[in-house]
Amino acid sequence: MRVVIAEDGAMMREGLARLLADRGHSVVAAVGTAEDLLAAVAGLADPADAAIVDIRMPPTHTDEGLRAALDLRRDHPGVGVLVFSQYVETRYATQLLAAGSGGVGYLLKERVANVAEFVDALTRVGTGGTALDPEVVAHLLRASRHSEGLADLTARERQVLALMAEGRSNAGIGEALSITPGVVEKHVASIFGKLDLPPSDADNRRVLAVLRYLQPR
Amino acid sequence: MAGMGIARQLLRAPFTVGAVRELAFCLCGVVAGVLDFAVPGVVFGSAYGLATLTGAGRGSAVEPAVTPAALGGVAVALVAMALLAPPIGRALSALHRRLAARLLSIAVDPPTARRPGLRAILSDGPGWRGVAYSLLKLPLSIPQIYAVVCFVGGVVNLSYPLWWGLFRNPPEGVRLSPVPVVTPLGVFDVETYAGTFAAFAAGAAMLLVAPWVAHAAATLDGAVIRRLLAPGSMTQRVRHLEQSRTQVLDDAAATLRRLERDIHDGAQIRLATVALNLGMAAEKLGDSGQPRDLDQARELLALAASGAKDALADLRDLVHGIHPPVLDNGLPDALATLANTSVIPVSLRVDVPVRPAPAIETMAYFCTTELLANATKHSRASHVTVDLVGDGDRLRLHVCDDGVGGADPARGTGLSGLAQRISAADGHLSIASPAGGPTRISVDLPYQP
Repeated sequence: MRVVIAEDGAMMREGLARLLADRGHSVVAAVGTAEDLLAAVAGLADPADAAIVDIRMPPTHTDEGLRAALDLRRDHPGVGVLVFSQYVETRYATQLLAAGSGGVGYLLKERVANVAEFVDALTRVGTGGTALDPEVVAHLLRASRHSEGLADLTARERQVLALMAEGRSNAGIGEALSITPGVVEKHVASIFGKLDLPPSDADNRRVLAVLRYLQPR
Repeated sequence: MAGMGIARQLLRAPFTVGAVRELAFCLCGVVAGVLDFAVPGVVFGSAYGLATLTGAGRGSAVEPAVTPAALGGVAVALVAMALLAPPIGRALSALHRRLAARLLSIAVDPPTARRPGLRAILSDGPGWRGVAYSLLKLPLSIPQIYAVVCFVGGVVNLSYPLWWGLFRNPPEGVRLSPVPVVTPLGVFDVETYAGTFAAFAAGAAMLLVAPWVAHAAATLDGAVIRRLLAPGSMTQRVRHLEQSRTQVLDDAAATLRRLERDIHDGAQIRLATVALNLGMAAEKLGDSGQPRDLDQARELLALAASGAKDALADLRDLVHGIHPPVLDNGLPDALATLANTSVIPVSLRVDVPVRPAPAIETMAYFCTTELLANATKHSRASHVTVDLVGDGDRLRLHVCDDGVGGADPARGTGLSGLAQRISAADGHLSIASPAGGPTRISVDLPYQP
């Protein structure tokens, strides 16, 4: 994959670049501001597959990274955007998802400690899927306006829903919960039934459906 | 040269904007002063009249003044005056404040709104002070009238030679009565054209004197206005407290924001990087058996270790900035630590037999930190003395250096921010820092905030 990194912490930026290079990905640009990010993505002759974007960057250190991420999704839909933050901000996550077409992710920075999972999430985002931090999903579930619908779910179904919301495939969910894909499929169908959602095969579409359903007021 | 300057100033004085404004103030003051007496007079008169008319039909002008009806009328009028005086006093003082603000550029804060209720009317300090000012306005307006007379009379007297020829051409044999010339020193008569030049000279003198009289009169009046029409000391205290409360709240919010930012950009990102390096090291070591790449794993672990150390150092600095642990032992220990770590040599003397409130200790500590940092950054001093004396009532901190001076709270936010925070604790910051040095900064704090 061809990856652009936008992160203002130099150590973190270098670490990420090294990690990705180690894993055989090529880092085509590593920048420290949102402005440079947009310029770098626009300037690439051979487009990038994914961008890792820190939310808080100079000059205001507020949400310029997120705004740049939204711009990227609009102007370069081929580039998946993985937003990278130290905080769980469900509002940012829902703003990203509201764009609707997948290719987005929101991870806490500490997730880099598990290199395999991190690279896996980035790959999902780069190929048009989604990746949401478990913390973000938990917050979204808590803030859900359909808690009465969720109340009908069994504990297992909630686990499946949460993993689904993170962007995992049925196989991934089965692996995480140590159950067979067939069982996962049954749970998913049951969840859709209880939440009144029409089933669909594409991973990211069902995540979006779930998340739209879960969107906090 | 200086004499020329003074002469020019004397000649120009009547025509400056300030002089015209002061004259206008005198004129308005005279009018307002008349109003000050007319209003209570009308109130008293109408209350008295109303009371005598309705109270007893017998009350009439020809009877002796002291009749029961008249006495009742006086009583009713006095009560009406007592009730109406404070609100009228407030209204009139608002008028006077506006005049002073517009014409003398004397900005006096209005008093706070009156509380409702009858008692509040009778005990309305600002209202009664307004009444007192109205009474004082009579003597105050005497020099003001004088100034107006000087100015108007001066202009009139100056014009004598101009119109003399037009109106003073009597036929042969007719003798016109002399024309009086009014001056502050008296009246004299003019009979001939040549005499009009005496009037002209008197007019010129009056015109030159008028602005100085007006200035003196306005200055005196302004001083009285500041004294009587400003909010009472309690109100000012409340205002000060309100301001400093806002200041403290803003300060607290800013501190929290800065803290969040420092943690986010410091320890937090360092620890995330440590996690990243550890994750990569784990990759290099593999899940089991022979490590995949031992050298890289070692390097990544070393990176992680130094990152963790940096994060700890960041947190230590942060904690120190919030509350230095050594301050728990009191100011002598805390300041000694501070003095030992200062770049410029510090002579420290601490004499605080009684410990002040913790908030005051913290404030004194951070004042010292900031003043020492300022001295290090700007003064180019070779030596600083820090002197802290507490007597159980006030805590006094003096930080003096032998540097280049020129410390000015107007430039840069450091000193003015410090002054505001000190003022919020009812303390006071004073700065003596002439260009060329030395700089002597004193902080005076109460023992209890």
